[in-house]
Amino acid sequence: VRAARPRTIVTPEHVEIRLDPAGLGSRFVALVIDLAIVLGASSVVAHLALYALPPALGMLVNALALLLLSWGYHVFFEVRAQGQPPGKRIVGIRVVDGRGLPLSVEQSFVRNVVRVLDALPVGYALGALSCLLDPQRRRLGDLAADTLVVREARTVDFERRAARARTFNSLRTPRLLRLARHRVGLEEREFIRALCARGPEMDDRARFDLMEEVARHYRRKLDVEDPHLSGESLVRGLAAVLFADRLSPGRVR
Amino acid sequence: VSETRERQRADGAATSAPPAAGTMDLERFVRERRGRWARFESLLREVERLPDHEMGAARLLELVRLYRQTCSDLNEARSATAEPSLLGRLNHLAGRGYRVVYRRSHGRRFAGEARRFFTVVAPAAFRRERAFVLGAALLLVLGTLVGFGAVLADPANAERLLPPQFHQESPRARVERIEAGDERVDSLEAASAFSAFLFSHNIRVSFLAFSLGALTVVGGAWILFYNGVLLGAVAAAYVLDGVTVFFLAWVGPHGALELPAAVFAGAAGLRLGRALLLPGESSAREALRQALPSVWRMLLVTVLVLVVAGLVEGSFSQMSAKTIPYSLKITVAALLFSGLLGWLFVRRLPEEET
Repeated sequence: VRAARPRTIVTPEHVEIRLDPAGLGSRFVALVIDLAIVLGASSVVAHLALYALPPALGMLVNALALLLLSWGYHVFFEVRAQGQPPGKRIVGIRVVDGRGLPLSVEQSFVRNVVRVLDALPVGYALGALSCLLDPQRRRLGDLAADTLVVREARTVDFERRAARARTFNSLRTPRLLRLARHRVGLEEREFIRALCARGPEMDDRARFDLMEEVARHYRRKLDVEDPHLSGESLVRGLAAVLFADRLSPGRVR
Repeated sequence: VSETRERQRADGAATSAPPAAGTMDLERFVRERRGRWARFESLLREVERLPDHEMGAARLLELVRLYRQTCSDLNEARSATAEPSLLGRLNHLAGRGYRVVYRRSHGRRFAGEARRFFTVVAPAAFRRERAFVLGAALLLVLGTLVGFGAVLADPANAERLLPPQFHQESPRARVERIEAGDERVDSLEAASAFSAFLFSHNIRVSFLAFSLGALTVVGGAWILFYNGVLLGAVAAAYVLDGVTVFFLAWVGPHGALELPAAVFAGAAGLRLGRALLLPGESSAREALRQALPSVWRMLLVTVLVLVVAGLVEGSFSQMSAKTIPYSLKITVAALLFSGLLGWLFVRRLPEEET
């Protein structure tokens, strides 16, 4: 298994855009959802065709509809819904052209035709293997059509997730503000911000240990003497001082 | 109140000292641009589904302006911070904008497009790739000759080449049994069920052959050759037993379509495989882009031909001489074969595209 590596494209404006390959897990979940939809739709079609039409015609119509649904479903949505059949939309991944453009009908058609090979010998084993070996997580169909399944960035509310202003903040003293301005560098600020933003996602135990460790560093660095202040309070207070405290007169730039 | 705030902000912007080298007020960076990004996102949502001609000049201009600004925001943010959520969001926005701004315009209506496919586009694709179609056909014919020759030289070879079910009775015995008994397909229902099974199965198999050709070239060539060997061996067994006409009448009508379809799928696979594995002067990516338009049209024709072939095989091909004389079945086979090739390779195309 090779580590995933994003593909970088450079737009004509000379801006680099990164395409992050979606992992095997999310692709599998999306596929299961899409398969369920196709199966549901084709059973509805089968019932309709076999009830409403004479049996000979019904069977033919049913087989043709099945053919159209199982091969056409992916192509239709990949082309009309910007690379997102319903399953992929729910999971938050998208099929794009290898150069970052929307994929064309022919690419979508070819990558879905090669699906029969990816599905071999059972349960998409070949496709999964190809996904794991390729650093851009492409199955054989993606290789044949130069397409890529990318992860969508979740829309994060930047302001709300980051450090919040605190009503009571014992760190908000002129002395500490001055020290923070001089001693806390840009990278450290980014680190503190990220720590506060991701704290709630961490395991309680791990968060406690990490916060205490970081706090120990800043107790020394900023001469914070209050021994009753918990590590997490100190880090969050510091983040508030550095980023969110609009009222603070010595707000650090 | 808001007015004074606005003024304060404007003053602040004008008088605040430029940030020290390497630092940037992210908070403010985001605050000032957040509205613009939100507008860009909602505009993208609107525009992504619209064809170009319905977009309108005002929206188009706004789209391009917002795209450029977002690109430069992304650059600026990258040089100042490593904050993953901000960079991720900007990267996502710029990527989505790029997909809309640089997309290929698409537009014609489906009905017109479908008609053009049959009259112009599909035959043109086949003529453009005739070298590959010819190559694939040669592989199949070569295989057939090898299989045929092998069984003629030593009838025991048939037992080595063909699966055991084939040897349960001799070809002549089979002909007599089939011609003496009732029709194998005796109702419309049976015919349609059999046809449905046949074309679904054949399409799957041809897609598999295409995929192998596209990814390995050699695999696709081998499948064509090997299928030829099997066909040749079966044909030789019937010829040796003196029932050649029966064979032609029973395999001909659908074989006249199925064999070309196998060749088309194989040729499409070889075409794509050549672009991917032997791109020559251009990059594989460029070669692929050039091959894809004809490849997917060839595949689409393969599917359509296989559906028709399945219908023929499930009904017409199964009729014994009691119902339809051999001569008629062989004539139909010849007509289908020449009709298919005439449509794809001989009929004159309108001047507009070749």
